[in-house]
Amino acid sequence: MSDIQKILPRDAFIDEIYAAAKANPNIYFITADLGAKALDRFRRDLPGQIIHGGISEQNVMDLAAGLAQNGKIVYTYAMAPFMTLRCYEQIKVAVASMFLPVTIIGNGVGYSYNDAGPTHYATEDISCMRALGGIEILTPGDTVSTVATAKHSHTHPAFRYVRLDRAFLPPVYDENDRRFLTDGLVEIEPGEKVCILTNGYMLQTAREAKTQLAASGLKPGLIDVFRLRPIDAKVLARVLARYERIVTLEEHFLSGGLGGAIVEAMADAGILKLVKRIGVADTYLFDNGGRQYMHRKAGIDAPAVAQEITRFCQTRA
Amino acid sequence: MTSINELKKRASWLRREAFEMIVRSKKGHFPSSSSCTEIVVALYYGGFLRYDAKNPKNPDRDRLFISKGHAGMVLYPILEDLGFVPKGEVLKFTKADGIFRFYPDPTIPGIEAITGSLGHGIGLATGHCLVGKRDKRSFRSYVIISDGECYEGSTWETAMFAAHAGLDNLVVFVDRNGCCIMDHTENCVRLEPLAEKWKAFGWHTLSIDAHSLPEIIAALELANSGKIKGPIAIVAKSIKGKGVSYMENQPSWHNKMPNDEEISKARQELAVEAV
Repeated sequence: MSDIQKILPRDAFIDEIYAAAKANPNIYFITADLGAKALDRFRRDLPGQIIHGGISEQNVMDLAAGLAQNGKIVYTYAMAPFMTLRCYEQIKVAVASMFLPVTIIGNGVGYSYNDAGPTHYATEDISCMRALGGIEILTPGDTVSTVATAKHSHTHPAFRYVRLDRAFLPPVYDENDRRFLTDGLVEIEPGEKVCILTNGYMLQTAREAKTQLAASGLKPGLIDVFRLRPIDAKVLARVLARYERIVTLEEHFLSGGLGGAIVEAMADAGILKLVKRIGVADTYLFDNGGRQYMHRKAGIDAPAVAQEITRFCQTRA
Repeated sequence: MTSINELKKRASWLRREAFEMIVRSKKGHFPSSSSCTEIVVALYYGGFLRYDAKNPKNPDRDRLFISKGHAGMVLYPILEDLGFVPKGEVLKFTKADGIFRFYPDPTIPGIEAITGSLGHGIGLATGHCLVGKRDKRSFRSYVIISDGECYEGSTWETAMFAAHAGLDNLVVFVDRNGCCIMDHTENCVRLEPLAEKWKAFGWHTLSIDAHSLPEIIAALELANSGKIKGPIAIVAKSIKGKGVSYMENQPSWHNKMPNDEEISKARQELAVEAV
């Protein structure tokens, strides 16, 4: 693993914004009191372009809209559950309805903040955020796509939600691969008959499940749902064409989540295939023991996923 | 500057216009508009708000946020009068071919931001004020919030922030008409001592009569004097429904429409006030 892959997603993202902000005084970064190693340098070198909005997400979002109305390229940053749901109506009214280019960075999606409890989990953020008009939702799954997402966010300012994991993520893409940005959906590992659509941290879980399934002769393809909204119908049809059955996997409730987005897009595109959606248990978990343990409790660890896929592939069409 | 008498006539004209808008469209909020009428008249016609009707987005313009969006209609006759929109638009308020709707939004020339959901205007304005400071522009942001908006937590989140940021280009009028929809504010959830709350949040706070043009002008002159460091809150005691006796200080008239008899009575009262 090279050095670049040992960087936390938030540091990789913020380092790119820092470099851009140094060259462009119109870039503003507002934090609701979430720090990052990379943010220390930003605060030191660019005090005029960083705003501590207080632990006041509603204020942060209205400020962001006010700045964006004056032509600024604006980022808001906090833990994912707070930067989305705590100020949801501000996002709708001040940002979405006025079509303003604000990039909302949610750090620590899913059970990233394991051992913290439901206040810090984001297992509803996809369904809530994708309900908003005109939003782009991106979930980088490794360092290459995280840095490219950051670059894309300042070269193409838009109303956007970037879902960052809290953990180190292993490599998925080659240094120069940009298919995730152009296509949104990328077949990163081809397979046979069945494929798994997932993103972010769960790409690793899917890979582990694939390894476990290899013994029984199943070779699922793996598709990165980097851009959850909008989903390009033509790309979706192309990547699903060779598969008979579709599995979606998410560290999120099933209601309106990644799987929901995929089946909606399939229905709209007239793609008729069997689908199995795998997501977290429909409840709030109060467990310690780390993320893998949480995944076991929630029914989304690799053995559970492998078992679900095996069962799904045995059902008759 | 326009004389106080001229401004008073403007205020009477604006109340009559606002009243006729609700009569024609059977929609709108006259009482909330009437309680802040003198404030908007002083801003637009008293020489305080630097606007550019030909280029409404001129970066050096002063910004006015009518955060109590339900009273946004009080700006529409002014925007037409000053040439932001073509003549005749007020007559088309809420009509399919009109550009003025129930709540204001930036698709309407001269309107800065969407409001109607309470507690947004102050935060949006503060974003503008930050840009003003950092880009070294001399514009100010004026915000008119309702006292009801002081129930919204977002109002106080921004109040704390704007004071910390020392934004002396931010002026907030609190339209203290004492009424929300269901009852008087002090019966719903107590807001008093309201001016002291703003003061405690670090704002230079003034308490004035919202219907006294000299008091509004004196407050605006102080705000523009450069003597105040930081944001200014002007708690303006007003009468909801001012000018129409049966509506005055009656929460139930928030969005109720008058019948024919009541319309005649209101027209008589609003005409008399001009003298």
